[in-house]
Amino acid sequence: MPPLATPVRTPVRPGTPTPRRRVRSGRGAAGRSRAERLAPYVLVAPAALIIGVFRLYPLALGVNFSFTGDGDRNGQAVGLDNYAALFEDPLFLASMRNVGLLVLLLPVAVLIPGLLATFIYLRVPGHRVYRSVYFFPAVLSPVIIGAIFNLLLAFDGPANALLGTVGLGPVDWLGDPDIAMFAVVGVHIWATFGMALVVFLAGFATLDASLIDAARVDGASLPRVVRHVIVPGLSRTIQFVVVTTMIGMLTSMFGLLYVMTGGGPEGSTYLPEYYIWFQQGQMGRPALASAASTVLFGVMLVVGLGQIAVLRRAGRED
Amino acid sequence: MKRRALWSTALIAPLALYGCGSAAGPESSGGGGEGGTLVVWDWKSGDETAKSYIEAAKADFAAKHPDVEVEFVAQPFDQYYNLLGTAIQSGEGPDVMLFNGGGQLRDRTDALLPLEEFLAEDMERLAGWEAFSADGHVYAAPVTLQGHPIYYNKALYAEAGLDPEAPAATWEAFLADCEQLTEVTGADCFALGNKEGIGIQFFLSGLGSGVLTPAEYDAWIAGDRDWVSPNVKRIFELWAETEQAGLNNDGVNSTAMFNDEFAIFDAGDAAHVIGLMSDVGHWKDFSEFLGAENVGVMPAPVVTAGAEPSLPYDGGIGYGVAEWTEDPALAADLVRSLSSATALEAFYADAGAIAADTTIDASSSGPATAEIVDMLPTGKPALHVALSAETLELMGRLSQQLLSGSVTVDDALAQLAESDA
Repeated sequence: MPPLATPVRTPVRPGTPTPRRRVRSGRGAAGRSRAERLAPYVLVAPAALIIGVFRLYPLALGVNFSFTGDGDRNGQAVGLDNYAALFEDPLFLASMRNVGLLVLLLPVAVLIPGLLATFIYLRVPGHRVYRSVYFFPAVLSPVIIGAIFNLLLAFDGPANALLGTVGLGPVDWLGDPDIAMFAVVGVHIWATFGMALVVFLAGFATLDASLIDAARVDGASLPRVVRHVIVPGLSRTIQFVVVTTMIGMLTSMFGLLYVMTGGGPEGSTYLPEYYIWFQQGQMGRPALASAASTVLFGVMLVVGLGQIAVLRRAGRED
Repeated sequence: MKRRALWSTALIAPLALYGCGSAAGPESSGGGGEGGTLVVWDWKSGDETAKSYIEAAKADFAAKHPDVEVEFVAQPFDQYYNLLGTAIQSGEGPDVMLFNGGGQLRDRTDALLPLEEFLAEDMERLAGWEAFSADGHVYAAPVTLQGHPIYYNKALYAEAGLDPEAPAATWEAFLADCEQLTEVTGADCFALGNKEGIGIQFFLSGLGSGVLTPAEYDAWIAGDRDWVSPNVKRIFELWAETEQAGLNNDGVNSTAMFNDEFAIFDAGDAAHVIGLMSDVGHWKDFSEFLGAENVGVMPAPVVTAGAEPSLPYDGGIGYGVAEWTEDPALAADLVRSLSSATALEAFYADAGAIAADTTIDASSSGPATAEIVDMLPTGKPALHVALSAETLELMGRLSQQLLSGSVTVDDALAQLAESDA
């Protein structure tokens, strides 16, 4: 999770002359000023080179490859054929629909850690235990979590046995195309909400306790305290959690999908990331995978720009 | 403003490169293979169970070429063909490499050396050449055979009052047996896991020879596939019907084939399973749980009149020689050592694989092995092995939909016919 970037501005008093030591040398003023002019570029160069060579160049290559063909047409320019194939492929369309589903499920993913953090903050009995217990899953790898839930959610597993004791029919958690995606997202939320919870708790630490006390003295009920005191006080934290949770859902569910469903049943749990891996590694169609990567890059760019906008606005409110 | 323009240029610049180069890398060959050392790539040599096989093959080769060093590089299987593809394109590949029979080999024949002149003496002794041949050339020597026998649990048969030595020969009799098995023992008829969409491949190949006529079967293998013919349709109807009739274990679409499906059979919770011949999910695994005497192998029950059940099998894995190797005869000699009788006997005994060598005596491993070996001479290539990776992927997805009832058999076959065209 990237740290919350709050721009720290050092106040610069206007009119204060920057002390500059002038060293006299044999060289002329022109040479010195050129060195001075070049210095920032030289200093920035390593960072720029790393970004250019390891980020932008591969990105450009990937976009470029998305316009070439696979198999027999390896290396030939094929125009937009790959993109046409993508948007005709029911698997890719399903993966894009699932991205939409994730966006819809985002409020749930934020609400759960938010509510639990509120309870811990309000010191429900045993809150100290919960605070550490909730964080436990965050340290497990997705593969281990997936394996655990494969067992729990198996058709003849404990989850269905539990349902059976209360008289409910067995649910094919990972085998029913209408349920599987929700099961996987549920497990992902379970596995990652600890991190968001910690962020929320950090946000609560900055909350003015006297406001809550005042509201209580005035006779406000718990829901009203949450609605009118806690939520406004935490708006920045909530925004941050929303953005990071969204990015987490879009980019780090591969391990869970790979272990729990393998994209199935009926291709119902594909996400773009998984689709890219499948086309490149399993079907031997790297150019099509490049096209899918480019589309995913576009989606992430939109989400990323949204993130910057949200964080900027949050910074201004400060 | 200026900076924004710069950024948009940086983002749009890639488009200027539009469509040059290739995603899979340039096609090139050459180089590789130093004198005195042969490099072998596979995913087997690291296995504990394959140790004795590799030792035997090395000893065989060392006897012929004492001054040549052989280096085995074991790659992880799930990355194997990715790594191999990269190596082939960079021209820095190994001299000898392991392949699965069928499509994986045929896709890469450009990088392989035709071996028929070097392997002429082994043609009789070994079986499964078909899967390693393309366009009249042989590109690898088979090490194991892979196929899909129908295994059944003889103990359950006995418990249900059925004759364990006389499994049903027709589909009607088979259904009647299954009813009796489930009624008396509580076990399901089939152990089936279709989470990965592989279950349908085993079903198609395991039961196909009992549905298609020999002519239809041969045409299918030869590439002339009529997806909408009544008998092909019948196979996919059976797939849906067995599920509807409750012959399978519960939750087929969420049961993984490897481990879970076979575990159901191992535990005696199902009477039949369409398994493998080599590596995993096979006679050796089942014998460990059920006892070798309780594992039976039956031919596919006859569904349509005129069908002649046969064991579906192909060459499983085999070693081929890279086209760029310095001394082809030397590398081919290593391939011969890797499929020599002594090496294959060790592989069969330790790793539990049906070796490609038909002269190995398999009768000591229990009745199942003996039955499989008996069926080899009349066996035919498996139906699903003839399909492309793309069609297999689609078939996996459609098979899950057929089980849940969200697609009809006709609709599924139409999609498959289009994909296979």
